[in-house]
Amino acid sequence: MSDNTQAIKNLLFRMADDDLIIGHRNSEWTGLGPILEEDIAFSSMAQDKLGHAQALYNILHSLGEADADTLAFTRNEKNFYCCHFVEYPIRDYDFSLMRHFLFDTADAIRFDMLTNSSCQPLANLAKKVRGEIKYHTMHANIWISQLGKATDESNIRMQAALNECYPLALGIFEKSDYESVLIDSGVFDGEELLQKVWTDIVSEIIEKSNLKMPDINEANLSTLAFGGRKGYHTEFLQPLLDEMTEVYSIDPAAEW
Amino acid sequence: MYGGGYIYEDTNTNNQNDASVNDAAKLEAFEARIAAGEKIEPSDWMPADYRKQLIRMIEQHAHSEIIGALPEGTWITRAPGFKRKLALMAKVQDEVGHAQLLYSAAETLGKPREDMINDLISGKSKYSNVFNYPAETWADTAVIAWLIDAGAIINQVANSKGSYGPYCRALERICTEESFHLKYGHDNVVFLATGTPTQRAMVQDALNRWWKPIMHFFGPSDKISVHNTIMMRWKLKMASNDDMRQKFLDMYVPKIWDLGLTIPDPELRLDEATGKWNYTEPDWEEFKRVINGDGPCNKERLAVRKMAEERGEWVRKALMKQEERYITPLA
Amino acid sequence: MKSDSTIKSLDPRITRADIPKDENLSINITPLDQWQTYEVFHQAKKGDHHIHVGSLHAPNPEMAFLSAKEQYARRGKCVNIWVVKTADIFTTDFEDEDMYETNNEKMYREAGGYKVMERINKYKKEHKKNPEEAKQ
Repeated sequence: MSDNTQAIKNLLFRMADDDLIIGHRNSEWTGLGPILEEDIAFSSMAQDKLGHAQALYNILHSLGEADADTLAFTRNEKNFYCCHFVEYPIRDYDFSLMRHFLFDTADAIRFDMLTNSSCQPLANLAKKVRGEIKYHTMHANIWISQLGKATDESNIRMQAALNECYPLALGIFEKSDYESVLIDSGVFDGEELLQKVWTDIVSEIIEKSNLKMPDINEANLSTLAFGGRKGYHTEFLQPLLDEMTEVYSIDPAAEW
Repeated sequence: MYGGGYIYEDTNTNNQNDASVNDAAKLEAFEARIAAGEKIEPSDWMPADYRKQLIRMIEQHAHSEIIGALPEGTWITRAPGFKRKLALMAKVQDEVGHAQLLYSAAETLGKPREDMINDLISGKSKYSNVFNYPAETWADTAVIAWLIDAGAIINQVANSKGSYGPYCRALERICTEESFHLKYGHDNVVFLATGTPTQRAMVQDALNRWWKPIMHFFGPSDKISVHNTIMMRWKLKMASNDDMRQKFLDMYVPKIWDLGLTIPDPELRLDEATGKWNYTEPDWEEFKRVINGDGPCNKERLAVRKMAEERGEWVRKALMKQEERYITPLA
Repeated sequence: MKSDSTIKSLDPRITRADIPKDENLSINITPLDQWQTYEVFHQAKKGDHHIHVGSLHAPNPEMAFLSAKEQYARRGKCVNIWVVKTADIFTTDFEDEDMYETNNEKMYREAGGYKVMERINKYKKEHKKNPEEAKQ
């Protein structure tokens, strides 16, 4: 473990920070969703994401880092490794749903790949969360497909959301400096493979939903999507963290 | 949470004019069934006034849940630490879930959910007054989760023994979830009250501000409120406002004092001779003013509900099928 | 910068939503806006019957399932869910409860309708007597 501990920690931070921030963002819909039934379902998934973040921080804690609350509630943005995609405000439900679809598809594949990880605690967690994530992708697929096919208005909205979200989603796969160590030591098969599987699955569902995959090439690839894995973030992250930690930071030493 | 303890009476209600009362034999059988402890089900015969009162009551309760998600929701992005963050999300989610269950129960009586939402936003239909007060600090969410939910449980446990099957079944499930809220709220208050001086001051301040709405929660004193015997006979109202308030004081004042917190009412004490609590009579004029729209948060609460409905409209419209028929849910 | 015409709330989510102040509070939600209703049945563990647990609003069975799973199975044990459109359920009124009454004449359908112990005992008594009589 000692050789690749830094690499494992980096992977855990990236995953945990993604789950924390998207869980936090999606929790903003609680009580304000488009219909009561969906409000409940969306809240459950946001809770799951935060639960996964907490579990990942707990593994970090077992590797010598601070406890989950300290990691989540006391770092400033420079020390966060989430991708830009999860930082954006919730906007309208089309944007939130499309982000949920693109992010959760990647999340599901990543955890699936990790069930065989040489990092045992991570492999165990990946197996444990499989059922929850299965529901998340099922929820996302049904919603994307139904709204994509429903009416002209909903199709246009979902296409616009896809056009906006897709380039940002590519930031999920931004590699860290530890990529080859992770692959060589059998911890994780790498962002490249993840992105390839993700692209196949996403395009299949997008096409079935009467939507079109945005044309992405080197020329129009958004540079806005990248930097998160190295600690460079959008204008949205620090205000989010300030808000999230407002009470905690009244007295971080206190028990809340 | 929140069976708004008090059901706003419709002053136009006059069951002497209820045409169905003429159906004397049916009414007699109906009342005999209720007296025998049987539940009334949606397709059973029921007096028109029973249906009307029930719709109003369950609808108000449902509105109280969905509006009740807002004061605590105020702190959902700021809860300190994973444990509190997850618990608050789950609790506010439960309130939305309770609204869903209660709207369904009200629908079995023939009022579609669309009509209920319209009536909520236009102000035609009320919700519990307590949610027209602001949650100013994190400690407010602790006090709400503990004490408002405690009040709600007293009310809801009583009502779950009532006469209408779908409402009773919804309340049974709601009460189970409320017990999590109560534990969570108490845990939260205890951590603040036994924490740092700052935490303790926060929770005392929240209690000071919420005591008045809590005393209002169960509705006007029996001395001034119209005693509706038919509501009692039909098992729609299962306990009087003052009885519920006394029960709440019995159960929770000692627990508050245990933590060394003070309650902002110099008159509050248990009369050993009568076993009843003495307290300063709440300001029922203020209570009425707030019901009628002049509370600190009435406008915001309704504007937020309206915004949520409007922002979600395109989603609902997209999946709506005009060829479908709306059928009242079964039970 | 937020303009003065929108609500500034204690809830940062609400402030971000830019809700106009002093707007006329009414809304016209039309029929079917909340879709149709579905009835939900859940199975607590394998081998049990599915039992009715409530209803919900959904535009189609897939969506009904997604909602049922979280509204009716997010706590406690559940291994399977059925969702059925309310309109597709045929049922009788409770007023017709008398249809289900069983008359005494239908005792031939019940286990309790068959009581032969008395007859057996009588038989045994009679046939016990005979060998004893034969001994004498």
